[in-house]
Amino acid sequence: MSSSRLEILNDGGLRHDARRPYELRSTSFALSTQSNAEGSSTVTQGLTTIAVSVYGPREPRSRANASHDRAVISVEVGVVPWAQGGGGGMKRTRGDKRLQEIGAAIRQTFEPVIMTHLYPRSEIAIHVQVLSADGGILPTSINATTLALISAGISLTDYVTSISIGLHLTQPLLDLSQPEESDLPSLVVASLPSSGKITLAQMETRLHVDRFQEMMDLGVEACKVLKDEMEGVVKEKTRKIVERMDVRGVAVEEQ
Amino acid sequence: MVREVDPPSIQKEFLLQALAEGKRLDGRITLEQREVNFVFGEELGCVECRLGKTAVLAQVSASIVKPRDDRPYEGFLLINSEIGPMASSVYESGRSSDDEILITRLLEKSIRRTEAIDREALCILAGEKVWQLRLTLHFLSDSGNLLDCASLAAMAALKHFRKPEVEVIGDEVIIHSPDERAPVPLAIHHTPLCLTFAYYENLPPILDPTHLESTLCSGTLTLTLNAQREICVLSKAGGTPLAASEIMGVVNVGVDRVREMVKHLEEALERDREGRVVEVR
Amino acid sequence: MTSLVLPGDSIPLPSSSKSIVLGPGIAASTSRVQSGRSQDAPACIATRLGLLGSAKGKEKSEQYWVEGSSKRYIPAQKDMVLGTIIARHAEGYRVDLGSAQMASLEGLAFEGATKRSKPNLKVGTLVYARVSLANRDMEPEIECFDPNTGKAEGFGELKGGLMVTCSLQLCRKLLNPKFPVLPTLAASIPFEIAVGLNGRVWFKTETVSESIALKRIIEGVDSGHIKAEKEDVEQAVKEYLA
Repeated sequence: MSSSRLEILNDGGLRHDARRPYELRSTSFALSTQSNAEGSSTVTQGLTTIAVSVYGPREPRSRANASHDRAVISVEVGVVPWAQGGGGGMKRTRGDKRLQEIGAAIRQTFEPVIMTHLYPRSEIAIHVQVLSADGGILPTSINATTLALISAGISLTDYVTSISIGLHLTQPLLDLSQPEESDLPSLVVASLPSSGKITLAQMETRLHVDRFQEMMDLGVEACKVLKDEMEGVVKEKTRKIVERMDVRGVAVEEQ
Repeated sequence: MVREVDPPSIQKEFLLQALAEGKRLDGRITLEQREVNFVFGEELGCVECRLGKTAVLAQVSASIVKPRDDRPYEGFLLINSEIGPMASSVYESGRSSDDEILITRLLEKSIRRTEAIDREALCILAGEKVWQLRLTLHFLSDSGNLLDCASLAAMAALKHFRKPEVEVIGDEVIIHSPDERAPVPLAIHHTPLCLTFAYYENLPPILDPTHLESTLCSGTLTLTLNAQREICVLSKAGGTPLAASEIMGVVNVGVDRVREMVKHLEEALERDREGRVVEVR
Repeated sequence: MTSLVLPGDSIPLPSSSKSIVLGPGIAASTSRVQSGRSQDAPACIATRLGLLGSAKGKEKSEQYWVEGSSKRYIPAQKDMVLGTIIARHAEGYRVDLGSAQMASLEGLAFEGATKRSKPNLKVGTLVYARVSLANRDMEPEIECFDPNTGKAEGFGELKGGLMVTCSLQLCRKLLNPKFPVLPTLAASIPFEIAVGLNGRVWFKTETVSESIALKRIIEGVDSGHIKAEKEDVEQAVKEYLA
């Protein structure tokens, strides 16, 4: 626990950044932000910005990792040196291991969601870059990866959306920022919004069993909200593409 | 990296067929653990834990160091846990795979971050001298579920360990050798223990998967709980999606199971204590 | 007569035999000369721990070998083995036998296989095969038919059932009809079995619990928890099937 004493929830029921307990931070989703990659996205949630590029399905970089009946997924997570801001509590002495753990979590989250059997003997490489960090790196990375995979046109069984949930006394809080994350017990949930099933759940601080269910249910609800947001962006993007295709179709007819 | 040869496909077919009938290949039922055995070493703080054929040796040692400037009242707990090729041929020394990182990270989280050890009680002289505990885990044999075994071994070793008594007179610190004064046990807040569940598509989860079961499963969920009904760590990294109610079901099973395990651990420690002379005359 | 020998023990060889065949676990020692023997007769020593076995061969010849316990398989010609297919190639398959190298299985080494119709095995299939070529400098080769008759003779893909691994010694023992474990088991559980000399045993039974009981008994006998006696095995069957 950090020693900073900040008021998590004031008397008016507002958090330190003037949000209500269940209010998410402002989000922005952008698809196909890198032109070189097969699929890419940039997601901002509050002050956390993460860019993801997806390459593949392509020939595996190392033969030994290839699987004869499905695609293998490799995830690499990087943090730009200036991401943490002025010592924003993310000092990493053995940071490498933590990043590798986040990478492994992302890989395992998407392995059952990507229909890997459609791409045998190939590799799908996901590169995650944290551009600025203010809490919720893992959930934001997962949201960004979902969008990047969608923009790469890789078959998924569902969206995967993710959110962090904290607990202040008995009051659950959604979408934690960095100061809140270091002061409160927090849970990260990633779920498949259409079935409400949970594919990833991670918690690192002590919490009584009875409080846990409430937080989990809340997280699943929040994931559905995020999905609607993301779907709106995807639809908008595809609408433009469809329109462009339509125009060409009309042009062909006119000739 | 050395990759293990996948088991023949009939193994998976059979395993799923057996699980559908609620049976496991070693005769256990779905939520049954393998037999836990502790072997206490000659020295205090050296414990080997065996979970079926999986074995982990934990050793605790203490030394006196200078505390960090920003936390002058806190001692240190270092956890060394590198999985070497001794445990199984899939592990390589010097390079760590994803599984390995997950195991060591989860151990670190469940023992260090949950404040199982009272670190302020390790302070001898504020700002000058504190105890540094070093917990070294040797992974001897991997027959599935290294993590649970390691967490049992680690907590057993920490509870088994005793640090020499120290006396502070002014600025001087006198360390009494164990022959002079009986060494004192560590201040331990609670006993977090890991429980790993493996699950398969459309089948009920199983506790304490063996090596074959964990290679064939579609995901695992690790819970660290203590006897006070607190979840210390929960980690379900991907794998088959589960409904919230399924996760809660597993948590509820785990709560009871951990209480039994803690009892078993205490009993083993008690038996060892009876046969050991720690007090001075 | 069998006796326990340790690595480095000298093996007493009778001088009466015309010829002596040395099997695995025995080597001629150059480093020591036995007293009471002429210089040109080499001394033989055991190279591993185990029981010394011997048998009379044709024309007054005698065979000697040391039966030790080991887990790692070293391919030898004519051994019957169980292997897992790990890759498919144009000409055949690569098969894992648990030995240091992968074995190769030709697509034509099956009963009735021709260039046009070759069996189609998936990766992960378990096959029962015979080692047709084992040379220490070459990759072992296996085949799924008897080259004398051209018939399958039970070799080939094994469908269903369960495979367990055990020590090489137990596999050899299981093949001995006088070894009581399998006959005793057969009295209460009907099963189909294939024993590979590479430390793998496959079996198939009617029900899941019978297979699990078989697995536990074979593993129990291997680790020494269950004695390889009729009564002990019978008792274990009762216990595990309950």
